[in-house]
Amino acid sequence: MGCNFRCIHCQNWGISQQFEEGSVIPQKELAMLIDIARRGGCRNQNWVGGDPIPHIPFWLGVLLHEKENTPVFFNTNGHYSQETSELLRGVVDLYKIDFKYGSDRCAERISDAPRYWETVTRNLRSAKRYGELLIRVLVLPGHLDCCLYRILKFISEELGKGTRVNLMDQYAPHWRAGEAPELSKRLTPSEWRRAVAMAEDAGLTNVTM
Amino acid sequence: MEVIRIWILIRPDAASALEDPKVLSALPRYVDVVKNRRTAKFQISRMVPVDYSDDSPTEELWMVHERALVKEAELEKSLDHGKVKIGDLKPPQRSLLHLKHLIGRRILESCVLCERRCMKNRLRGELGYCKVGEETKVSSYFEHMGEEPEVVPSFTVYGSRHSSVGRPS
Repeated sequence: MGCNFRCIHCQNWGISQQFEEGSVIPQKELAMLIDIARRGGCRNQNWVGGDPIPHIPFWLGVLLHEKENTPVFFNTNGHYSQETSELLRGVVDLYKIDFKYGSDRCAERISDAPRYWETVTRNLRSAKRYGELLIRVLVLPGHLDCCLYRILKFISEELGKGTRVNLMDQYAPHWRAGEAPELSKRLTPSEWRRAVAMAEDAGLTNVTM
Repeated sequence: MEVIRIWILIRPDAASALEDPKVLSALPRYVDVVKNRRTAKFQISRMVPVDYSDDSPTEELWMVHERALVKEAELEKSLDHGKVKIGDLKPPQRSLLHLKHLIGRRILESCVLCERRCMKNRLRGELGYCKVGEETKVSSYFEHMGEEPEVVPSFTVYGSRHSSVGRPS
């Protein structure tokens, strides 16, 4: 809940777009819970929304109270401003950015996201420069040529062939996906084979599936 | 300790992920922080002293921020190379992390956190495009097992939007 995108195919729509009452937990208390979880064996703290972007000032306030050495895992769609990028710098240990579109037209049509390519590629570069980066790519049916090809090429050429990429085949037509004909069905086996071949052709060497 | 025993059964791949050469080549520092061999960045930012006053103009705060980031990078290097130990440092009254928090709150006055830059005054109760107002509510938190193997178990907190969305105002 609380997302800066409006993806018609939102894979977490139950929590991102629906109304669900949360409760106000004092930042100090949340910090204590995170410290306890870390002592209990959790590897990191994972900030989620919807997207964590609208909640960053709150999270910075939580971090002020934390005592343990808990790496910050920032789990985002990557569509944040340059100001936000500066705030995250020196705080986030591991950026996980969902790289969704290779075309601004697709990003606007499906997620209502303006200036997508320019923004997300800028933030991917800065994430790599100031922290470590994991990229998640959910392959969308019908978006191999317009999106996937350009995404994989950018990762390979601009971020490095060894960039850790999680290529995902589990797209399902959730939420209002029926509004876009190509998104109203699952990925076909032949599309998935083509996606894997595209990753190989791009020369990527650190792809998990 | 309970958490550890159970998760190894659910995600045996996660147990060995921190030794996986591909994880180590891409995320070496993260793995070291998980293993407590290096310091999480936010804890380093907590040790960088900065000088500002709460009513300074935002542009001035950004300038102080920029300089403090340079100091933080230097401190991170010293810590990573073992020249300084985090336990020997004393957290200052006002740190880079405090400054980041203050600037973050300032941004909420005309919100440009996301690239949409809707400029709503969230401190005055306006909701952004994201439907989040001044305060973050937490809808749930748990040990997440459904992420990449090197990431789990991950203590995941779900921030939530404003509760009056959908009601007539």
